[in-house]
Amino acid sequence: MATLLVNGERHEVRAADDTPLLYVLRNDLELIGPQFGCGLAQCGACAVLVDGKEARSCVTLVSEVAGREITTLEGLPARWAKQKGLSAEEAKDTLHPVQQAWIEEQTPQCGFCQNGMMIKATELLESNAHPTVAQIKDAFTNSGPSPNLCRCGTYLAIIDAVRHAADLMAKGR
Amino acid sequence: MATVEENTTKVYGATLSRRQFVKAGGALVVGVSLVGPELMKAGAKAAVMKNSLDPTLISSWIEIHPDNTVLIRTGKNDFGQGTTFTAYRQIVAEELSVPFEAITTVVAGDTDRTPDGSGAFDFLGHGTPNIRKAAAYTHQALLDLAAEKLGMPKEKLSVMDGVVSGGGKSISYGELVKDQQLKLTIPVSGELTSIFGLTVEGNPPMKPVSEYTIIGKSYQNSIINKKVAAKQTWATDVRLPGMLHARMVHPKTLGSTLISAGAVDTKKFPNARVIVKGNLVGVVAPTEWEAIQAAQQVAGGTKWTEWKGLPGSTGLYEYLRKESDWTTAPVNKSEASKGDVGGALAAAHKKLSATYQLSYMKHAPIGPTMAVAEVKPDGSVHIYTHNQNPQALRGEIAMMLGTTADHVVVHAYPGPGHYGRSNGGNAGAEDEAVILAKELGKPVRVQWMRADDMQWSTQSPAAFTDVELGVNEHGKLVAYQADHFMPAMQDDRPIGAVLAGLPTMNAPELESKSVTSITNRIADPWIYGSVANLMERGHGTFQVGQKTSPLAVGLRDHSMRTPVQFQQNFPRELAMNEAAALAGTDAIQFRIDNTNDERLIGVLKAVRDGSGWDTRPSPQAGAQLSGAKVVRGRGVSAMLRSGTYWACVCEIAVTPATGAMAVEKYTIAVDPGIVVNPAQLKRQVEGGAVMGISHALLEEATFDESGITVDDWNSYPILTMADVPEIKVVLIHNPKVGSYGGGSEAANALAAPAIAAAFHDATGKVPRRIPLKPVYVQAVLKA
Repeated sequence: MATLLVNGERHEVRAADDTPLLYVLRNDLELIGPQFGCGLAQCGACAVLVDGKEARSCVTLVSEVAGREITTLEGLPARWAKQKGLSAEEAKDTLHPVQQAWIEEQTPQCGFCQNGMMIKATELLESNAHPTVAQIKDAFTNSGPSPNLCRCGTYLAIIDAVRHAADLMAKGR
Repeated sequence: MATVEENTTKVYGATLSRRQFVKAGGALVVGVSLVGPELMKAGAKAAVMKNSLDPTLISSWIEIHPDNTVLIRTGKNDFGQGTTFTAYRQIVAEELSVPFEAITTVVAGDTDRTPDGSGAFDFLGHGTPNIRKAAAYTHQALLDLAAEKLGMPKEKLSVMDGVVSGGGKSISYGELVKDQQLKLTIPVSGELTSIFGLTVEGNPPMKPVSEYTIIGKSYQNSIINKKVAAKQTWATDVRLPGMLHARMVHPKTLGSTLISAGAVDTKKFPNARVIVKGNLVGVVAPTEWEAIQAAQQVAGGTKWTEWKGLPGSTGLYEYLRKESDWTTAPVNKSEASKGDVGGALAAAHKKLSATYQLSYMKHAPIGPTMAVAEVKPDGSVHIYTHNQNPQALRGEIAMMLGTTADHVVVHAYPGPGHYGRSNGGNAGAEDEAVILAKELGKPVRVQWMRADDMQWSTQSPAAFTDVELGVNEHGKLVAYQADHFMPAMQDDRPIGAVLAGLPTMNAPELESKSVTSITNRIADPWIYGSVANLMERGHGTFQVGQKTSPLAVGLRDHSMRTPVQFQQNFPRELAMNEAAALAGTDAIQFRIDNTNDERLIGVLKAVRDGSGWDTRPSPQAGAQLSGAKVVRGRGVSAMLRSGTYWACVCEIAVTPATGAMAVEKYTIAVDPGIVVNPAQLKRQVEGGAVMGISHALLEEATFDESGITVDDWNSYPILTMADVPEIKVVLIHNPKVGSYGGGSEAANALAAPAIAAAFHDATGKVPRRIPLKPVYVQAVLKA
């Protein structure tokens, strides 16, 4: 039994302590943002934010994150709304600027890795509002347990989208 | 084209019938009629397959609704190309003359809800995809209706934004179809569950290219919105009531048979069960984590026979040349072959004789294969998965179960890109899920782990090519000969069925149908038409280990992005660079001088201008084959595929002392004829470029005597964001071609020969094998 704080909501979960967070998020809480890519923290498809830092949910045990603030792809809009102090009404139809930029730049192809890419982008932009291309490449390659991998080769579209998201965030939308 | 009597020419090969008011809000329904050879023999209309759209009535491609919205259906399932959500809507909107936004619904992939089957490849169908003809037929039927309604001759009518006008009167499509059910029967040929599915026949008039207003614009891909907002149900998200999670315990080697399956430690895993069927071992549990842990524990206690029947990666090319059987399969000569190559080579001023090699590569989807299956009490089978060819999967599952396809429904969902691996109907988990679900009488979700997906999936086969060419005193290519050797590329047997000893199609052999044969065809169209003497031959053989593995498995191969052509274009284009060097000519100019194809010349000039190419021979004056100082070089490649011309320039930096190599700039020019959607094409080309650099520099599925030895992203690395160069995409909109070629697939093939040529330009040595790993290129430099 553990108490998880996910996307602002508290959940009592019955999973054994050694269960990787990914399976609890997907199967118990029915959150579909994080995907199973490798189970080895080698690709990033399963990434979530834990206290604002990217974590690979496929190797993060439930017991390690009990009581900590977990944000999944589903929680990005509310995270942004909270940061901007938007009303509940305003927040309802708002996407996080990272998600909005991912649409406007037409970034995903198959899209299976993009959960992790958007989580990584959010982490980056919360600490560096205007990253350079070199900083973006460094963040997506070297800052996590492994590079965030995209098999469709959308890295350029991701760079474009991160820069666009930075502009959207600076404008406060 | 097949013809049949009952298809009158009322609507250009299609038959329109109609019935007044069936239900409130009727619709124009375009159905299909089968006119394949079997049906002609039967002399009757095809029986409607259960769990299929009625081929003549219900199988709708396009519905026009009274509210002027349009629904389209296609068997082609999206794998990240986005074509079904962008280009298909544009193509239909264009032929119907309705706004892009009027096409509100795209139904794709599901075998019980789409008409035509086939795979997630060649979406644009060389300019005439099925959906375009279906739309063109629909347009003609609507015009006929409007002519009657408005009392005007059809030729006097015009359509804009879904409103037909003529003689001062007008009526919308919605009004035309209101309160009527219209049945338009169109001719179709082919076999639904074959890899190529059905093809719409006939010749309905198409809108002239000069009148296009929708094709050519950058519309957004609607599914992206749902995916980035976590509102899209993926195959991985499907959960059925009572469903069990399963993990597979695959054999120890690619030739091991089961001695005994391990038992579940019921103290640790009280709810887990082992299921054994032949050599197929699965472990199921109500929760995913218990299934994973129990499977690991069971695997430890499972005993397999040993097998050492593979040559191992280090001996691969020697094995292929000396041990493989290249005589059973007839040699395929290209249609372009001409002249007297032997004589021209003998008389040539300078000659090159070289061998080029490509390694086994993994498709390596970012998510391993998975499927949910349910076998209902009435015997019907439902599979929920992500598959490039749901109809072909349906046929394979039916064969496995000894039943007919009408008992099988495949529900298609988004998932990770497969890059060809499942275009023949299976990616790995689907049949295993069905076997376990049938055994247990409950829905089962099989999810492969990363190692399963690296070691038990198919791979793109290794290949080698012997080239001989000659240039004359004037620097012109006078003879080119290529002998392409490659094991069978398409093993579509579902692996779970093979392991369980259930019926499947045969392993690739000479008699196998079309793409699953062991023969090797020429797939890289010859584009240097002014060369007088040409010989291209394809040599095929069995898959490595296929004949000796007690499981009949060995190294199973499968087509991967730009298949066969990739394996043939790398040697040719690298050889063309070498020929230019022999001739002392610039490599782009050499290509231009040896062709009479204006579109090829166009892309070569565009890539020359776009890259800022410095016209000179290779290698460059400062080429260095040793030392710790970085040297730079550039190379070029070109290709024609699916009606689209490509040319690419790669600029690289090499450190000879370490063999470290980076691509610094990549420029690619693309002439597909008509560019349907510039923004989407640019993104697809960028992605293909990145994958191509990854293939060229990094990717090799190594193996030992027993099986594949790569099992994760460390042992099978792919390109990371840090390695991505500056990429420049030059799109050439060339409407005078009158048609659109494919664009989402082929860019991955261009990098390898251009990078290898750039290495030659930088160092003076030619690396003729990919991947260009440091250890290999260091050996090339020292040789």
